[in-house]
Amino acid sequence: MPQFLKEFFNRNGTGMGLAILGLVLFWTIGLIILPQLSMLDFSFRPNLPPPEIGGPKDVYTLENYKYLIYGPEGGGQDYNVVDLKVFFRTLLAAVCVTIFNLILCYPIAYYLGQNKGNHIRIFAIMLIIPYWINEILRAFALRIIFGETGVLNTLFVGLGIWDTPFDFIRNDIALYAGLGYAYILLMIFPMYNVIESLDKNQIEAARDLGAPWWRIHWRVVIPYAKPGISSGCTMVFMLSAGALAAPQILGGPSSLWFTQLIYQQFNDNNDWPQGAAYAIVLLVTCILFVLAMMRLFKVNMGDIGK
Amino acid sequence: MNNSFLRISIWVYLAIFFLYLLGPLVIMSITAFNSSEFPRMTPWECLTFQWFGELMQDQRILNGIKNSLIIGAGTVVLSVAMGLAGALLLTQIWPKLRATYYTIIIAPILIPGVVLGISTLVFWDRINRMLGLGADSFLSNGIFLTVIGQSTFIASYCMLVLVARLQRYDVALTEAALDLGASHAQAFRKILLPFMRPAIASAAVLAFLASFENYNTTTFTFGGYPTLTIELAQKVRYGITPAISALAFIIVALTVFFALLNEAKLKRQELVAAARKKATVEELAGKIKLPSFFAGNMAAVLLVVFAIATITVVGTATAYNPGQCIANVKEQKRLEAEERIQELRRQREERRKQNEAEQGGATQSAPKPSNNSGFGNVFAPNTLGGDEGTDEGEEGSNNDTQPSNNSGFGGAFDPNSLQND
Repeated sequence: MPQFLKEFFNRNGTGMGLAILGLVLFWTIGLIILPQLSMLDFSFRPNLPPPEIGGPKDVYTLENYKYLIYGPEGGGQDYNVVDLKVFFRTLLAAVCVTIFNLILCYPIAYYLGQNKGNHIRIFAIMLIIPYWINEILRAFALRIIFGETGVLNTLFVGLGIWDTPFDFIRNDIALYAGLGYAYILLMIFPMYNVIESLDKNQIEAARDLGAPWWRIHWRVVIPYAKPGISSGCTMVFMLSAGALAAPQILGGPSSLWFTQLIYQQFNDNNDWPQGAAYAIVLLVTCILFVLAMMRLFKVNMGDIGK
Repeated sequence: MNNSFLRISIWVYLAIFFLYLLGPLVIMSITAFNSSEFPRMTPWECLTFQWFGELMQDQRILNGIKNSLIIGAGTVVLSVAMGLAGALLLTQIWPKLRATYYTIIIAPILIPGVVLGISTLVFWDRINRMLGLGADSFLSNGIFLTVIGQSTFIASYCMLVLVARLQRYDVALTEAALDLGASHAQAFRKILLPFMRPAIASAAVLAFLASFENYNTTTFTFGGYPTLTIELAQKVRYGITPAISALAFIIVALTVFFALLNEAKLKRQELVAAARKKATVEELAGKIKLPSFFAGNMAAVLLVVFAIATITVVGTATAYNPGQCIANVKEQKRLEAEERIQELRRQREERRKQNEAEQGGATQSAPKPSNNSGFGNVFAPNTLGGDEGTDEGEEGSNNDTQPSNNSGFGGAFDPNSLQND
């Protein structure tokens, strides 16, 4: 038995040690690692009816990944334009939502982090309450607002600003607003945690030395808050790229989200390996993108999740 | 000057921000009380509580709530246990393994929920097949799969909450207990667990709420046990009614209530602690004068206001009957529809006259117009009756498109009537 395991059992007792180790192994290996590997393995297999699984036809193939790039064989097109377009549009939209959220939330996080008092606590409660409301209901609320006879259209048409109702849903404005809305808290909290620990004297020193407010933010606050900003951005990006509820409810009829394609493969086409392949592509692309961004902005992996 | 400008702009910004954050919830809550068939605020028809009654009779929603509660309980137990074990191991693990271990147990937070759901489904399906069990075995049960799938990432949240408190734990306490002859299990139960209790409570609440509102993972794993969120998503996707607003209102009210309760309790503890600090020895001996419950505790005041408001609303709801108002609105709608039909009729008449005039101008078609008009006269009342029926039917089922429908209806009506003529 290795030294550290012996120490571990000495410290926790055999029974407790086994319980802890058992639970952790079940979680890490049984729930996190093996299912992901199993999905990876599954994505390389053809879609077979249950009796043929494990049979001679059950061999590894790149078919499912090829499908995403080239489309069905003999489909007449060189590339699977529809799915690829959805894929890149999803990534681009997730980036836009992340940037929008960052710009929207930074002033709030700064304000909450640098002020103290009763009203800050009230603000904090007001921030948390929407987060505990069901994701579906939040999307539903936005649909009431952005609908054709919704509050906004009634207001603007009533005021005479527009002649005809504007179709927010078909133009994807409702979708972006909904995605941004859903993850505001996840952007604010990491930033708030970091900015709260910033010594006020640093800001005052910068002010005394004659820096205008925007330079204080650019040279003092933002560099200090970088770990918080990056973990907020990472979370919002990953979650909005992987969102399913908001696109289903707020998305227009013509615009699909990549997760909706995965959902369709699973539930409508009943093609699990294909769906698993799409899910792997989404996961790997998102992770690579986040790692690239972290390299670009010189953020350490250890700072994330603090 | 510059300073006050900055301050004002900050407050304006805060106002816009919170309007974006809370406005949709407020509007959604208000729509629950409008008698309009489609959830909307304008035009306001009647104050009604009928949607709450409808909600209470919806078997699918009630069944969804039941499933959600079962799954929530399972998820809380499993993920708090795994989170606690994970946190304990994190504080003791061999330093070289620590970073890798941390990455693995934090990763589920960042993995998209869709991916977690799919991987759980695929993996347990495979295990099921390996063991040679049928499609109705325990391992392919919707509740089991959902609990497992949700716990994968909810345990990470729990771990983060628990590890924050565990870091302040003094290991010497456990060692002292062991030296005094306690077994490891006893030391855990009597020393560590009481210390961790507040964190375990918040982790459990967090886990339950996360499980209750989860959609992305559950949508792949629920099998034959749809949770409340799944049922809601189905309803929202295929036709929305104010009954959903009513449910949302209840959830919003409960959330606000518990948030205020928690805040009031925290504030009260703080005030008591402050009073204790100031108290003299004599006062501490027994007759410490605690500040009254509401003094300086805004959350408590709000809580009481909120409770009174709830009682008032419920009281009104039992006594209030919107029947008259709804009848009025219906009557008004009927009148409007009739007016519209009259208008259309008038237009048609005019057009007919115009036609007649044109055709009368043309030679050789003298008998035709008279025939035409005679047929039109007989036909008109019939079409009127039919139209009234369909119009009302449309009003009931498809209210959301009503304004655009109006013009559409008129447009559709005109060519039809012309063709008929």
